[in-house]
Amino acid sequence: MAAIKEKHGTHCEVNTMSYEENKPKAFERLNLDESSYRVYEDGKVGIFHCIGTVSDEEGYAKAQADPERARPYPFSPEAGSTRVRDLSETEFSAGELMALAEEYMKYLTDNYPQFTFSGKFTTTRQTDTFTNDLGADYSNSDASVGVGIMFKHKDSKNIMDGDFEFNMRTPDDGTKFREMADLYLGKWDTAAEIPEDVILDMQYYGFADSLVSELDAEEMSLGNSRLSGKLGEKVFADSFTLEHDATDKESWYTRFWDGEGCVIPGDKLLLIENGVIKIGYSDKRVADKYGVPHTKTAGRNFGDLTYPGGMNVRIRRSDKTIRELLDGRCAVIPIDYTRSQLDQKGDMTIVINSSLLWDGDKVIGRLPEFKVKTNFYDIFGKDFLGVGSDNPATYHDKQMLLRVERV
Amino acid sequence: MKQQYHFPENLYSDIRIQESYSTNLGMYNGELTRDNATSNVGALVRVYDGKLWYTSSVNDLEKIQDELDALAKLATPNENIYEDPAIKLLEVNVDERLQYTGEKFLGNIARSRFLTVLNHYVDACIDPEYPDMTSWSISVGGDYEKKSFYSSKGCAVAWDYQLCSLNVYMSFGNNGEPMGGGKNFFGMMPEDLYGHEQEFLSERDRLVDYIANAVDVEPGEYTCILSPITTAMFAHESFGHKSEADFMLNDKTLRDEWVMGKKVGSELVSICDSGDMPNHGYVPYDDEGTRARENWLIKEGVLTGRLHDSNSAAVLGEELTGNSRAQDYRMRPLVRMTNTFMKGGTDSFDDIIADTKDGIYVYMVSNGTGNSTFVLNPVICYRIRDGKICEPLRVRMVTGSVFQTLFDIDRVGSDFELFDTYYCGKLGQGARVSAGGPTIRVKKLQVS
Repeated sequence: MAAIKEKHGTHCEVNTMSYEENKPKAFERLNLDESSYRVYEDGKVGIFHCIGTVSDEEGYAKAQADPERARPYPFSPEAGSTRVRDLSETEFSAGELMALAEEYMKYLTDNYPQFTFSGKFTTTRQTDTFTNDLGADYSNSDASVGVGIMFKHKDSKNIMDGDFEFNMRTPDDGTKFREMADLYLGKWDTAAEIPEDVILDMQYYGFADSLVSELDAEEMSLGNSRLSGKLGEKVFADSFTLEHDATDKESWYTRFWDGEGCVIPGDKLLLIENGVIKIGYSDKRVADKYGVPHTKTAGRNFGDLTYPGGMNVRIRRSDKTIRELLDGRCAVIPIDYTRSQLDQKGDMTIVINSSLLWDGDKVIGRLPEFKVKTNFYDIFGKDFLGVGSDNPATYHDKQMLLRVERV
Repeated sequence: MKQQYHFPENLYSDIRIQESYSTNLGMYNGELTRDNATSNVGALVRVYDGKLWYTSSVNDLEKIQDELDALAKLATPNENIYEDPAIKLLEVNVDERLQYTGEKFLGNIARSRFLTVLNHYVDACIDPEYPDMTSWSISVGGDYEKKSFYSSKGCAVAWDYQLCSLNVYMSFGNNGEPMGGGKNFFGMMPEDLYGHEQEFLSERDRLVDYIANAVDVEPGEYTCILSPITTAMFAHESFGHKSEADFMLNDKTLRDEWVMGKKVGSELVSICDSGDMPNHGYVPYDDEGTRARENWLIKEGVLTGRLHDSNSAAVLGEELTGNSRAQDYRMRPLVRMTNTFMKGGTDSFDDIIADTKDGIYVYMVSNGTGNSTFVLNPVICYRIRDGKICEPLRVRMVTGSVFQTLFDIDRVGSDFELFDTYYCGKLGQGARVSAGGPTIRVKKLQVS
């Protein structure tokens, strides 16, 4: 069989304007390329991971230069066609970035002089590519403007009291920033009481990551997962559906192909539906070794073989807004908190050093330190109240309501 | 050390070049799943006009001069730039400390030497029939880093660092309540990794006992004995980050709270940070070219120092400490720890346990954080009753006030250990560090 050549690439350009203690600190720019050259031949693949640029000729030559490191790969490389996706919406110059940073910092220092602020304002433009001798020619481009603010009350003995951040493909007129700043800072000095029934309004990234790690088909097959042996079983709430979604516009710089160049039809994979475990995710090696479905979800690994992963999951939204889900109750927005790891039984404690109480519309005040506990099965089970149909100013995206027990 | 760059006039500028090489072999349940080697070269170019830093990261070293010139055009020339307080402080060191050249360089070490270490540990430590074991993994590899730094003040330094590592890990499915554990070992060369077989096997037996017998802790306030690795985590996460001065530049509250000479803890407590130790936080010259020092942050309970870059040292009117560090050439430096440790004392571990009527022994932790209330996340704990270690405990969190806990340390062990395991995160940047300490006893902490 003739050698098949394959190249994975990333080109990334980032400009950052940073502020420290209310003052401009640095303007930084970054322009980087990274590639993986792979040559498949006789059931093996030679790999060269290049940070920077080399000619393709040199890259492929280096991939074949060290036969000792050629990895076993008893699978067919992925054939494909041409597909180009560009999710970017606007160009944003360095000058515009500096002006936006100055305007936003002025808003903060004018309106909230009792705080000091550090800020990072970033434009990122990234293009990922995948090409091979079998006709695959994929490209995904995306661009965003990111804002990240850390704040500290001048009377606080903490190093930092909290932060908020968001990304935009097209910057608005500053409304989103002002809403978020007002929400986080406006009632900081007003004390509120911890409600009897505690409902957290949090972004679900961390919780979802914990769940996704349990859906690795290899770990499920070995018995290392809390979900081992539970395929087809209803484990979580009726209202809980989790899917990998390469079309999710609330994610950034996602690709529609996996680390082996596979494309899921429709770009989505249903992992959990209405609380029922549908499938564990795999790459070709895991699917072959454990006899499980190949889900085309290999994590990209420029320097080595792939692994199951590289997921871009989202929880299916409810039909109701966050306010409707709250149904007259208040929620706690944790600002500074630490989660324990899940213990052997799946229990988790969260220390909430500072948080805000809000009613789904306006903030009532800041809460004192307290602790809550929850459990792996309850987070997306009996205590899962849903992901709203909207994105209030509390967070930019992916927020869920979760009932927890105070300890 | 000879630099070849033309620095623009009336601006301060510097260039940091980083060359790195890493290799890793990993086996999972008998299958070689990782086998890679990657090299990486890049540079960060910085220009400062007294108001703003302008930086650019490049992979192509041929472009450094072009980037320097381009950044200079963005900046405003300042003929008094060398009178800027931060720039004035910067040292002009000229030195080369390259220890890993020729056959010692990781890139020249044959892959087979790592593979031999890996196979040795498979034979010595893995019994595929071990009861209830659902998976195992062993990985062995190494990381090499060389930094060269040149500044328009004339600083020109180069140094390198290399560490080989071994991780042995086992998982137990435990009927849907999975748990795993293992050990990390370190050395300068692959062969330094031999000799830890029994340490791993003891750790495995401890884990198996823990899984079988651990009971839930009754939440509450306890006297806690922290193992050396737990003390190390506390010293780094809970106290160390507060010593990084870039968080308190113009903050009156923090400056008043952390004023030099203030008593901040028990006289048994001394904490130090030094980049000049041959450990995972080795940084003989920081990313502004400043030479490393031994910086005592607390001496016998009294605040004696903090960690600086040139800006924080200038603002606070203190000396440079050699703690300006960036994750890599893509990042600008921040104030970071290096090798941070609490000094050992005179008590034996056995005496500390025997002297504790009722408490909890925090043997192993996974991670920790430190605001005013610090959090440690334990993995394995034990109950102490009448001076004896008793049943294993499931503890999810140990918390306390940093300020109070430093005063509540009443026993300090002689069993000091330094751990090279750590990578520290701050503002999106990772940094290799080490942390250390002895067994200590804290009169009371919240346990849940």
